[in-house]
Amino acid sequence: MTDENTPGAAGGSAARRRRRGLARAGPFAAAAAVTVLLAGTAVAGGERETEHGFAEGAQFRILAPADPGGGWDQTAREMQAALRDQVGRAEVYNVGGAGGTIGLNQYARLPADPTELMVTGLIMVGAIETSGSEVTMDDTTPLARLTTDYEVIVVPEGSQVRDLADLVDLMREDLKAVSIAGGSAGGVEQILAGLIAQEIGADPAEVNYIAHAGGGELLSTVLSGRSTAAVSGVSEILPQIEAGRLRPIAVSSAERLPMLPDVPTLRESGVDVELSNWRGVVAPAGISREEERRLEDLIMTMARSRGWQEALDRRGWGDAALAGPEFEHFLQAERKRTTEVLDRIGLT
Amino acid sequence: MSGAANPPGSAAPAGAAAAPAPVPEGDDRHGHQASIGLGALMLAAAAATLVDAAGLEGGSALIGAGAFPTVVALLLIAAGAALIVRSLAKLRGAPAVGPALRARLVRLAALIAALVVFAGVLPYAGFTLSSALLFTAAALLLGAPHPWRTAAYGWTLAGLLFLLFDVLIGLSLPGGPWGF
Amino acid sequence: MAEIASLIDGFGAALSPVNLLWALLGVTIGTAVGVLPGIGPALTVALLLPLTFRLDPAASLIMFAGIYYGGMYGGSTTSILLNTPGESASIVSALEGNRMARAGRGAAALAAAAIGSFVAGTLGTVGLTFLAPVVAGIAVDFGPPEYVALMALAFVTVSALLGRSLLKGGASLLIGVTIGLVGIDEQSGDARLSFGLPALLDGIDVVVVVVALFALGETFTRLMRGTGGETVEPVRDRAVLSRSDWRRSWPAWLRGAALGFPIGSLPAGGAEVPTFLSYSAEKRLSKHRSEFGRGAIEGVAGPEAANNAAAAGVLVPLLTIGLPTSATAAVILTAFQSYGLQPGPQLFSESGPLLWTLIASLYIGNVMLLVLNLPLVRMWARLLTIPAYAIYAAVLVFATLGTFASGGTATDLLVLYALGLLALLMRTAGVPVAPAVVGLILGPLLEQELRRALALSQGDPAILVSSPLTITLWVLMLLALALPAVARLVRRDVGAAPAREEGEEAFTRS
Repeated sequence: MTDENTPGAAGGSAARRRRRGLARAGPFAAAAAVTVLLAGTAVAGGERETEHGFAEGAQFRILAPADPGGGWDQTAREMQAALRDQVGRAEVYNVGGAGGTIGLNQYARLPADPTELMVTGLIMVGAIETSGSEVTMDDTTPLARLTTDYEVIVVPEGSQVRDLADLVDLMREDLKAVSIAGGSAGGVEQILAGLIAQEIGADPAEVNYIAHAGGGELLSTVLSGRSTAAVSGVSEILPQIEAGRLRPIAVSSAERLPMLPDVPTLRESGVDVELSNWRGVVAPAGISREEERRLEDLIMTMARSRGWQEALDRRGWGDAALAGPEFEHFLQAERKRTTEVLDRIGLT
Repeated sequence: MSGAANPPGSAAPAGAAAAPAPVPEGDDRHGHQASIGLGALMLAAAAATLVDAAGLEGGSALIGAGAFPTVVALLLIAAGAALIVRSLAKLRGAPAVGPALRARLVRLAALIAALVVFAGVLPYAGFTLSSALLFTAAALLLGAPHPWRTAAYGWTLAGLLFLLFDVLIGLSLPGGPWGF
Repeated sequence: MAEIASLIDGFGAALSPVNLLWALLGVTIGTAVGVLPGIGPALTVALLLPLTFRLDPAASLIMFAGIYYGGMYGGSTTSILLNTPGESASIVSALEGNRMARAGRGAAALAAAAIGSFVAGTLGTVGLTFLAPVVAGIAVDFGPPEYVALMALAFVTVSALLGRSLLKGGASLLIGVTIGLVGIDEQSGDARLSFGLPALLDGIDVVVVVVALFALGETFTRLMRGTGGETVEPVRDRAVLSRSDWRRSWPAWLRGAALGFPIGSLPAGGAEVPTFLSYSAEKRLSKHRSEFGRGAIEGVAGPEAANNAAAAGVLVPLLTIGLPTSATAAVILTAFQSYGLQPGPQLFSESGPLLWTLIASLYIGNVMLLVLNLPLVRMWARLLTIPAYAIYAAVLVFATLGTFASGGTATDLLVLYALGLLALLMRTAGVPVAPAVVGLILGPLLEQELRRALALSQGDPAILVSSPLTITLWVLMLLALALPAVARLVRRDVGAAPAREEGEEAFTRS
């Protein structure tokens, strides 16, 4: 492109004329070469897809409604790898923000194409309520639940609080004086804090909940020792627990977790609450019953595959594969419970 | 600000960037008009922020979601008003510059239109074609001399970007009916 | 020192010809994505991750290290040459760097940035190698009150960025803070200034604002002025860096690195804040203060060094407490985990050779970037011989590509255009745009941390001065306010020699 800035100059000699001729032909030759390359890759790309029987063999696309690096992104990328044997190369793309509702909004506008999937989970169910999104889970076809991640309540290592009973006593005494740090407003951590308050007869709206956008900010508040307690996903905070910087006092699962065998569940500690940060997958609304059934088979086959089971181990996720009507009942129940507690916290 | 519009191509390898402006940026007539416009915009933004903040529920928090926006809005009002007052006072004495403002506004409008059209057709016409068209339109509006050669450059650039990001790195760009 | 022996082993694993090729590929890709506004290393590493599962772990770690450092480096090239930063951390480099480029000193600015990146990147990596556990120990003491003090300090020092007129600079800062209000409020979950538009719920991405204010603003301004046919003389000096450039740059590099590494290692630090602080420090300490705003080389050297040292600093919390503090770090964490490297407090004691391979590859990536970029400085600067119409048409394509690629929709593009028009209005009015980005980055941090701190103390403001760290930071802030006067006194003490030198330089320059 550098020869371009002398258009007005008069070319005298033959050599200069040749050079100008080249300058004139050059861009067109380059454009032609690029076109050939583009056409070449477009044709070659067409041959890469395997025959999976959906939408004439089109490539699967998985929407991760969060930025790269988070739980939904990881789920989508593990699915991409685990689905490879069945559907060939799938594509993952990220539309992050607002608890996944921005991704959901975009997803709901897609045509009823069974090769378009989206990762979802409890956080999205809550975010739909708190953000007052007009698009809801009804605008998708729920396929399956895949994983669970449990929450753990921790206190700084030097804290006076020894167990959950201590924390509950403090909360009963003066709810506002107990600061609980956790993830984004309306997210799983706040829902859990609200559920606990509700269970011990306190007003969920009065919980002194300190919201954080990401794991980094949350840890900076907790490790500085300024909050009474914190709620976090187990896998995110496990390294700090193992290093002895934070002390776990309860987990939100129904039974004790293999990675924290000495930590009691909320139920054992006398608070009748159970909560799992589940993640699953949905298809667009309006796909046919037949397509829905086959997609559910596809996902469940993936969930049993060796590759997927290895991914669960590597990430520390619980296997929670559940599809069909059972998943839809589960989803309805989760929506109801989430809406209720968010209502009482005053976030809807 | 250089006085008359340069005829395209005539200012080939010019020495320094822009000839040193006789008046500091923003102190000519257009600058003061722009300052007044910006001040007005800030006042409007402040009004919107105040209305928005008033609509937020206080909740149980000590400092609610509306507190910080209210402070920002008040500061916006102060700064916006100061900009307007200062520029109004100086507007009369400011040197007038650059005729042909209307022609330039038309060019700006044309570029905006090209950008909006680009946003509209991108999902349908694919990345390479839409970007090539955007490049060509923008370059011509900015004063490129040779339409066809510019279009060839645009196509080459867009094609290379597509090859690099879509094919090599795997970032999916809108493909259009022909795959690129 | 056990570290040194392990590090040598790490180099042994990393320094094979094949791995050097991977490093080269990594830094090349990293530089390319860093140059393009909106496509950062985070997205690139996430996209490449599945492709590298079959690679040797050392090879992919080396490539990722190259992409990571390369991305930090690439952002400054366009920032200096075209006044269009590729990343938010290179905004400050545009202030002085672009002035230098317009005066025919683009190659010098690029070289100062390249060598500064290398020096600071290497110093940062050395810090990571030997000081990581210590720094991490201090970093975890940073809670909300400390952040409030740090942000207040940053806000005070950015006055150096405001430009000639306090009113206009302040207006720009406020515009940025207002843009930062858009989106869901973290503490309450309420949507602010979103007008029911889903695209605004998550706020306006810093990258979009940077691209709009700089790239689009520059393009629109050129269009309005009819200066599209111009070119800039790319290289005026014979030597890339003159002796006086060297003398002025090296203290700036060291200071930049000293600011960047610790702030980068804070759990909510980021790479932008140290660049702001470095710029104001250089401006206050410089003997050539009058050159600031017209192309002072310290103003490029310091912030660039800060930015790259911060990139190394970000790895401190990542490796020592398993805490990713940026999107890129989060993706790199995923990569580590897939190779069985579990970052966290036990990493240094338990994970052995692979960690040292990674650290060795950070050194290699840094050298590779210098080798790749320094000889190319003059070639990059010759980019400026391309007429402006071609450059800015291409910038528009890059800008829209970047916005669209990061999950954007047509609405995001419209937001981008609207902000571009705002930038045109600001530029016409003589209002600088850089403070707006500063306000956009610092405003939300200050607000959220202040509200968190006060919620923790149930409204008692005493929490803001409740620890030695907070008090230190507040004292630093007062010092920053008083520094101009102090600096004047110090300069008087130093005596006549520097003053004469300054006079000479001013004479030869004019």
